[in-house]
Amino acid sequence: MNLKKYFVRALHRLQKGPGYTYKELLVWYCDNTNTHGPKRIIKEGPKKKLIWFFLTLLFASLVFWQWGILINTYLSYNVTSSLSIGFKTMKFPAVTVCNANPFKYSEVKYLLTDLDRLIEAALERILQPTPGNSNESSSPPLNLELWYQIPLVLIDEHDKDNPVILDIFESNQTAAGNQNSADNQTAADDQITCSHPGSDNCTYRNFSSAAQAVTEWYVLQFTSILSKVPLQERIRMGYQAEDMILACLYGAEPCNYKNFTQIYHPDHGNCYIFNWGMDEEALNSSNPGAEFGLKLILDISQQDYIPYLSSAAGARLMLHQQKSFPFLKDQGIYAMAGTETSIGVLVDELERMGYPYSDCTMNGSDVPVKNLYSQYNTSYSIQACLRSCFQNDMIEICGCGHYMFPLPEGANYCNNDDNPGWAYCYSLLRSSIRHRQICIDSCKETCNDTQYKMTISMADWPSEASEDWIFHILSYERDMSTNVTLDRNGIIKLNIYFQEYNYRTISESASTTIVWLLSNLGGQFGFWMGGSVLCLIEFGEIIIDSLWITVINMISWCKGLKQKRAQARYPDAPPTVSELAEAHTNPGFQHEDAGALPRDEALPPEPGTPPPNYDSLRVQPVGVLGPDSDAE
Amino acid sequence: SAMAPGKKITARIKRTLPVKGPQAPTLRELMRWYCLNTNTHGCRRIVVSRGRLRRVIWILLTLSAVGLILWQCALLLKNYYSASVSVTVQFQKLPFPAVTICNINPYKYSAMKDYLSELDKETKKALETFYGFSEGKSKVRRSVDEWNSTGSDFFKQIPLLKFEDFSNTATDLRSGQKRKIEGDVFHKDSSIVNSGDSNDIIGFQLCDANNSSECALYTFSSGVNAIQEWYKLHYMNIMAQIPLETKEKLSYSADDLLLTCFFDGLSCDKRHFTRFHHPLHGNCYIFNSGENGTILSTSTAGSEYGLQVVLYIDEADYNPFLVTSTGAKIIVHDQNEYPFIEDIGTEIETAAATSIGMHFTRSRKLSKPYSDCTETGADIPVENLYNKSYSLQICLHSCFQKAMVDSCGCAQYAQPLPAGAEYCNYKKNPNWMYCYYKLHEKFVKEQLGCQQICKDACSFKEWELTTSIAQWPSTASEDWMLRVLSWDKGQKLNKKLNKTDLANLMVFYKDLNERSISENPTNTIVTLLSNFGGQLGLWMSCSVVCVIEIVEVFFIDSLSIVMRHQWQKAKKWWNNRKGDRSGKPPQAEDLERQGHDNPVCIDEDLPTFNTALRLPLPQDSPLPRTPPPNYSTLRLKTAFTEQLPDTLDVGQH
Repeated sequence: MNLKKYFVRALHRLQKGPGYTYKELLVWYCDNTNTHGPKRIIKEGPKKKLIWFFLTLLFASLVFWQWGILINTYLSYNVTSSLSIGFKTMKFPAVTVCNANPFKYSEVKYLLTDLDRLIEAALERILQPTPGNSNESSSPPLNLELWYQIPLVLIDEHDKDNPVILDIFESNQTAAGNQNSADNQTAADDQITCSHPGSDNCTYRNFSSAAQAVTEWYVLQFTSILSKVPLQERIRMGYQAEDMILACLYGAEPCNYKNFTQIYHPDHGNCYIFNWGMDEEALNSSNPGAEFGLKLILDISQQDYIPYLSSAAGARLMLHQQKSFPFLKDQGIYAMAGTETSIGVLVDELERMGYPYSDCTMNGSDVPVKNLYSQYNTSYSIQACLRSCFQNDMIEICGCGHYMFPLPEGANYCNNDDNPGWAYCYSLLRSSIRHRQICIDSCKETCNDTQYKMTISMADWPSEASEDWIFHILSYERDMSTNVTLDRNGIIKLNIYFQEYNYRTISESASTTIVWLLSNLGGQFGFWMGGSVLCLIEFGEIIIDSLWITVINMISWCKGLKQKRAQARYPDAPPTVSELAEAHTNPGFQHEDAGALPRDEALPPEPGTPPPNYDSLRVQPVGVLGPDSDAE
Repeated sequence: SAMAPGKKITARIKRTLPVKGPQAPTLRELMRWYCLNTNTHGCRRIVVSRGRLRRVIWILLTLSAVGLILWQCALLLKNYYSASVSVTVQFQKLPFPAVTICNINPYKYSAMKDYLSELDKETKKALETFYGFSEGKSKVRRSVDEWNSTGSDFFKQIPLLKFEDFSNTATDLRSGQKRKIEGDVFHKDSSIVNSGDSNDIIGFQLCDANNSSECALYTFSSGVNAIQEWYKLHYMNIMAQIPLETKEKLSYSADDLLLTCFFDGLSCDKRHFTRFHHPLHGNCYIFNSGENGTILSTSTAGSEYGLQVVLYIDEADYNPFLVTSTGAKIIVHDQNEYPFIEDIGTEIETAAATSIGMHFTRSRKLSKPYSDCTETGADIPVENLYNKSYSLQICLHSCFQKAMVDSCGCAQYAQPLPAGAEYCNYKKNPNWMYCYYKLHEKFVKEQLGCQQICKDACSFKEWELTTSIAQWPSTASEDWMLRVLSWDKGQKLNKKLNKTDLANLMVFYKDLNERSISENPTNTIVTLLSNFGGQLGLWMSCSVVCVIEIVEVFFIDSLSIVMRHQWQKAKKWWNNRKGDRSGKPPQAEDLERQGHDNPVCIDEDLPTFNTALRLPLPQDSPLPRTPPPNYSTLRLKTAFTEQLPDTLDVGQH
């Protein structure tokens, strides 16, 4: 019984709201709320009341609509970019220099003897198709084993439906049925690749030019031969730092080949990286201009080039970030022999925000491709990912790795002896658009994208007047001999320096923050209705109040029902009714603001003293009705 | 009962929703009512403050808040049309751009001999006369008479002149006579070289054919420029008369230009190239022009997956006067863009491998009202003469061509023909060169209005190129390479190719990151309104409701009070007049009633006995009512104690 009393009192305390009926509550709310519209509704005359009611509804719906838009905008995670340009002390980029030719011909000659003799003979046959004048008898017999794996053929397509295929070393002509190219050139030098010698599973790779075909063929054979050579041997066969880097000056400080880190690059042999930042701190450059940059003199010794492998001569260089792998085929540039190449650098950075603002990766850890370049201790890049992806596919499909890319553990490079069909498999995989697309889809770009924009200019170097003494000194320093061992075809001067403006940084920031959202929500609510969060709380309160009213009504209705039944049995009223009545008359329930009382018809029948009938004063229309009806 | 149903309804509406004027009797009352009841915060303070000082302070504060709101909202409006830039990078398969390749020399010199032999002879003659240059061997000095007898009119059309010093006398090449120069002197490159210092100036004179006294003299500090300009004028004259088919035959064929081609690891040939005839560069070949509907794309970056071509540049067959450099010109552009190779081409050196790394950027600007650019060019009043999508270059060239056709009557050779026009040549349009030079002068000085009419395109694609050069072929591979390439070229060419006749070109994507830079509106209408709301709320806790209130009170209500006031005045005046005319003195009841009900009128009324006695006004309402209790809370709720009987008058009128 005691508990029930407490409970009822607590309920009364909680429910000390503005009234007992919905209408009362609503009028009280309109009168006392801080939002601007509702007050007007109850304060104006009947016509204006209607207008204000609709206006308030309209504004409320406008507010909700605009809020929807704002929240949508917030959830779309837009970014704004800010751009800054200027000069600041920055890390000098890592500079990778390579020779366009991977190995010294004098060192690899013993491996390539057979191949070179074969190609020479083949070229002889191609250029002078009439047999008889060749002096094959005097030379040792050709090693045709290499030839049979990937033969070069001539395809005569005068007759398009029935092209004639001519093996260069065998004069028997075969008509190929599976030739689907519609080459109408008089004579096309083509390459044939078979998955297994003697089998029917062959493809022809067509080339419209013999030069292209010979080069491609040579590269295939060359990679097959080189893949069997151990890495140490390959490094030895390449260009050594002391032979290649003749002079080095960074700013005012001298440097030499020891400041370069050697890295073995499958395309270009030994490459040397300046300022890679692997073991020591990266160098900073705090001044613009050529005087404060890196100056290099390189020797590429063009006489020692492998003749059939690379036809372009020069140094290959690339600027890249510290601790990143140089992908010279993609981003590298050439420097021509006999010239001075000046490269002004502008660091173009793009700093992006990660998920959910853009789909990029911070360090590559969330990319499903195993990064094979991590064995060089280098950071993730999209090029590394794409190549790793290709190599993984290659190992999975062909059973061996391609010589141009690093190997995962336990795999071997492809060569003609162990994997006779690799070239066929490789050329299929390389031209497979599906595999490329899979790799593109699974690799993600990095969030911080740094590009080095280069302004390249060239001049002849050394000048004719200074040529003699420069060659003399450089030869002396390198070989300790008074003979000039250098010439114009091998020597390259490089200047790499920061431009006057050395950075252009585009950084992203979220365009919509939670602060932005709140202030805009507030602005919208305030603009249309003059409301704030407190108004929302008020509204919530009213809803709770109305719920209470519902609960109380339900209870009283239930009790009334019970009572009726009880009354049917006992004519006397049970005491619970008086308790209920007491709750109604409880002065604690009485609304504080007497003026805010609703009109009399809205009031419940109260047993207490009726309030003075001030309605005419408070609500205008009631009083105004008089003269109106008079006028009618 | 006899009323129409429509009238019945209106009457009913009138009854239930009566139209009433403002309930305040005076403006002052209205203001007071407004200040007490408004939702804005400052006003109430003004009314409820005690003391004049406080009231003044509150008035000032409220006014400054209003001022601040207006100022800040004006700033917001001003900044509404601003754009922010967003940069996105997307890694994806990229469409390969179209690559247009031209030989720098437009036509085979050997094939052009028929057309140009006369001109070349005269040019050589000029060189000999002015500079004593002769190619030795078979050159016989011809006399001036002999020359005249050849009947050539190259020099008659445009005389080449040499000035001995900076006087107005010049030696005419043709006659060898000195003559006085009249007319305007245009120094083609006077800004670079002070022509007063140089003793020997060479130039040519262009005269208006219709009015020979009007001449313009173009001078050059160097004879190299003068001879080339002079040659080019005649060359264009000659070329304008040759039909397009003949010109295409005179120029290089795809087989001539392209030795080898390799794209994305696969061999390609001339079928992948589209011929495009450029008026100044002859036959150019566009790789991946998208003509047959397919645009090639690259899914791997790097030099081996791009386009590699070896070009055959036949240096021996170059026109010695028209072009003075050797090599090829290339331009990387979108398939829909016209290649303006003469303006923005990259030159390719012979005996070298030129490697061009590309980086793709797509830019997009917002059009009106954010910036003055055009989406399609449809809103530009210049007809697009090129069969390609709009660009600023196209617009400027088209605009110039149109002006040329309008004022000179014929079209300039370097640009496409507008409908119904034909290229200038001095057989038909003897005056065109003078006209062209005058017009070009105007164009450069922006007097033609082309630069004002033409707008930038809103979106454009750009390929940033990083060009580097390596020696090619290397000394080690030179021998076999040249032999095989000669074989490729075909047996008809028996000699071995020279490496200075070859150029190797590689065009490839450095990376497949597409950078797109786009402008976005900084503000939407939603954020603008939010900002308005923020400002209104911050300074005065105001909202649109307040604005409506202000409109209601200050405009509608005040106006109707003033109107009512005026109406009553007029009525009174009318009554007075009527009373005067009828001789009846104004009735005391009338006056009483007016003065009683309308306190505003009191000041204007002549003081009568009644009004003089009745001060101050009684505050009771005409209707019998319960007097209001003097609760302050109630006072707020009641709008006005006074009800005016004439509110209906206003409503009815």
